Amino acid sequence: MMRDFSLIWQSADRLLDGLINTVLLSLVGAALALALGALLAIPLMASNPVLRLVSRGFVDLMRCVPFLMLTYLVYYGLPRLGLRFDNWTAGLVAIVVYNTAYMAEIIRGIWSRLERETIEAAVAFGFHGWRLVSRIILPQVMLAAGPMIGNQLIQIIKDTAFLTIIAVPELTHAANSIQAQYFIPFATFITAVLMYWALCMVVEVGVYAVERIAERRR
Amino acid sequence: MTFNAFLSLLHGAGVTISVSLAGIALGVPFGLALALLRWQRVPLLAPLATVYVSLLRSTPAVTLCLLIFFALPVIGIEIDALSAAVATLTLNTAAFNCEIWRSGLMNFSRDQIEAARTFGMSGPLTFRRIIFPQLWRTCLPSLVNEMTLLIKSSTAIAVIGVAEITRAAIRIGAQTYDPLPPMLVATGIYIVLVLVFVGLQRFTERVYGHAGGAA
Amino acid sequence: MTDTAVKANDISVLEISGITKTFDDKVVLDGVSLTVARGQTVCLLGPSGSGKSTLLRCVNWLERPDQGTVLLCGERIGMRKGGVVPMGNAELARLRMRMGTVFQHFNLWPHLTVLQNIIEAPVHVQKRRRDEVIAEAEALLENVGLADKRDAFPSRLSGGQKQRVGIARALAMKPELLLFDEPTSALDPELVGEVIAVMKSLSQAGSTMLVVTHEMGFARETADKVVLMDGGRIVEQGDPEQFFGNPRTERARQFLQRYVSA
Ligand SMILES: Nc1ncnc2c1ncn2[C@@H]1O[C@H](COP(=O)(O)OP(=O)(O)OP(=O)(O)O)[C@@H](O)[C@H]1O
Ligand SMILES: [Mg+2]
Repeated sequence: MMRDFSLIWQSADRLLDGLINTVLLSLVGAALALALGALLAIPLMASNPVLRLVSRGFVDLMRCVPFLMLTYLVYYGLPRLGLRFDNWTAGLVAIVVYNTAYMAEIIRGIWSRLERETIEAAVAFGFHGWRLVSRIILPQVMLAAGPMIGNQLIQIIKDTAFLTIIAVPELTHAANSIQAQYFIPFATFITAVLMYWALCMVVEVGVYAVERIAERRR
Repeated sequence: MTFNAFLSLLHGAGVTISVSLAGIALGVPFGLALALLRWQRVPLLAPLATVYVSLLRSTPAVTLCLLIFFALPVIGIEIDALSAAVATLTLNTAAFNCEIWRSGLMNFSRDQIEAARTFGMSGPLTFRRIIFPQLWRTCLPSLVNEMTLLIKSSTAIAVIGVAEITRAAIRIGAQTYDPLPPMLVATGIYIVLVLVFVGLQRFTERVYGHAGGAA
Repeated sequence: MTDTAVKANDISVLEISGITKTFDDKVVLDGVSLTVARGQTVCLLGPSGSGKSTLLRCVNWLERPDQGTVLLCGERIGMRKGGVVPMGNAELARLRMRMGTVFQHFNLWPHLTVLQNIIEAPVHVQKRRRDEVIAEAEALLENVGLADKRDAFPSRLSGGQKQRVGIARALAMKPELLLFDEPTSALDPELVGEVIAVMKSLSQAGSTMLVVTHEMGFARETADKVVLMDGGRIVEQGDPEQFFGNPRTERARQFLQRYVSA
C-alpha cells in the first residue's frame, strides 16, 4: 500500500492539474451561475405572468433533468444545432446553464421572504427598476444566501466529476487515468475522495466566515 | 429513432428505476442505523458515523462508483457492475438519509421518551413502539425529496458501463449518428420520473407534514 | 407644471383633495382633503384603523387612491395629462425623491451602515455628488447626535438611534415635505423623548411636516394644525390650542378623553 501511495506521489502533478481544473470549473461556473441566477430571479419575481411562466418553466426543467443528461445535451446535442464546444467549455457551459436555475431558485426563495418594508422604504425614496433590485434587494438577498450558495457550490464541485464522462481533465478523470496506468485504484480514488472532502471543508469554512460578516448586517 | 431504440431506452429506464429503488431500500435503513449510532452517542461508532457522513456527503457519486468498482477487486472482493451501482447509490444516499433521520430524532419530544421510561419501557422497545411510528412520518417528506436527488445522481453509474437511461441514449445516438432524439426522449423519461417523486413528496407533505428542502 | 398661476410662496406644499380608497369593499379613506402650507407642521391624529397610514401612503403613491388628487407643490402625483394616464415608475420616483418619509418601524436598510443608509438615495436616486452628500450626511448625524455611529450597522443601534438615523436619511433628500408615520410608537417609552426632540427642532427650523402621531404633547406644542381622522374621514381640524382646549365635535372630545387622560 505504501508503494501505491508513493506512485501517486510521483504523479502528484497530474492529480494537482485535475484538482485545479475541478476548482476552476466549480468557481468560474458557480460565479457565472450566481450572476445569471440573480438576473433570472427578476423574471421569476416579476408581476408579468408570461415572464414568470417562461422563467419558471426553465428552472423547473433544470430541476427535473440530471446534470449528466444536460452535459450530454450540450456536448453531443448542441453540435447538431451548429454550436460546437471543446469538452472543457462544454462542461463549463453545462455547469453554468444547470446551476443558473438552482441559483435563481435560491435567490427567488430568499427574495420572496425578504421584509417588504425595507423595499417599500426604498420605493418611497425614489428607487425603482434595476437600481432597486441591484442596490437594495440583491445585497440583502446575498447576505442571507451564504449557506445555501455554499451548499450549491459543494453540489457543483461534486457535479464536475460527471465531466470525466466527456473526458474533461478534472480530478476524477486524473485519478482514473493514474489508476489505469499503475493498477492502483484503491489508493488513487481514496486520494481523490480526500481531496474532494478537503475542497468541501474549505467551502464550509468560507461559508462560516461569510456568515460572520453577514451577521452584523441583518 | 426506431422502435427498438425506444425499447432500449425503456430498458434503460427499467435499470435506473430498479437500481435506484434498491439503493433506496438499502440506504434508508442504513441511514437510520447511522443516525441511531450518532443519536445514542455510541462510543467509537458514533464518531465513525460522523466522519462517514461528512466524507460521503462530499464525495461525488461518480468517484465513489469508480472506487467501488475498481478498488474492491484489488482487495479481493469481486463485484459486478450492477452490484457496484447499487452499492454506490446506497452508500451515497445513506449519508444524506442519516442527516434526515437524525434531525427527526433530535426534534423528537424528550417528554414522550421520559414518559415511556417511567412506564418501564426499555430503550429498544421505546424506539420501536413510541419513537419510530412517529419518526418515519415526520421524516418521510424529506426522505422522498432525497429519493428525487438519488434518481438524478443515479446517472453516475453510467461511468462503469451500466446501461441506464443516459448510457442507453448515448449508445443509440452513436449508432444512428443522430444523438438529439434519443437524448430528448431520455430527458422526457427523467422529467416523468422526477415528477412522480415530486408528486409523492407533495402527497407525503400533505399527509405527514412538511419537508426541509426542495427537489 | 402648475395648475394655477400663483406665486410659489402661496402654493401649498401638499394639497390632498377628495382622496378615496377602498380595500376589497372596505372603505378606508372616504373623501379626505387636506393641505399643508410651506413651513407648517400638521399633526394627523386618530384611532387605530382610521386610515392615517393609508393616507400617508397615498401621498407618495405607495398606495393608489381610487379617487382624488395629490399635489406636491402644485404638481400632480401619480397621474399625468389631466389625470387620465398613470405615471411610470421613473416619473413617480422623481416626485417621490422630493419627499422624505420616516417610518414607524424605521425600515433602515440592514446591509448598509448608518452613513451609507443616509447617502444611498441622494447618491443613487438624486445623483448628487458623493463627497458633497457625505459632508451633509455627517452634519446631519451631528445634528441628531449620532456622529459616533457613522459606521455602525443598523442592527447595532437602539430603537431611538435607529429612528434618528431614519430622520437623517429623510432629511438628506433635502425634501420639500417630510412624512412621519408614528415615528415614536415602536420605541420604548424612555427613548421617545430623543426622537421627539429632533422633530421639534426640525419644526422650529421651518421644515414642512405631516406627522401621524399619538404623542399628544408633541401635537399640542409643535403643530400649526391638528387633524383628527376617524373611519376614513377628517372629523375635525384646527389649530392645536382650539382643538385641545375646546374641541368642536363630540367625536374629538371622546378621542381626547381617551388619549390625553391615558
Ligand atoms: N393593503 C391593505 N389591504 C387591506 N386592508 C388594508 C390594507 N392596508 C390597510 N388596510 C385596512 O385599512 C384600515 C386603515 O388602515 P391604516 O393602516 O391606514 O390605519 P391607521 O390609522 O394607520 O391605524 P394605526 O394607528 O393602527 O396605524 C385598516 O382597517 C386596515 O386593516
Ligand atoms: Mg398606521
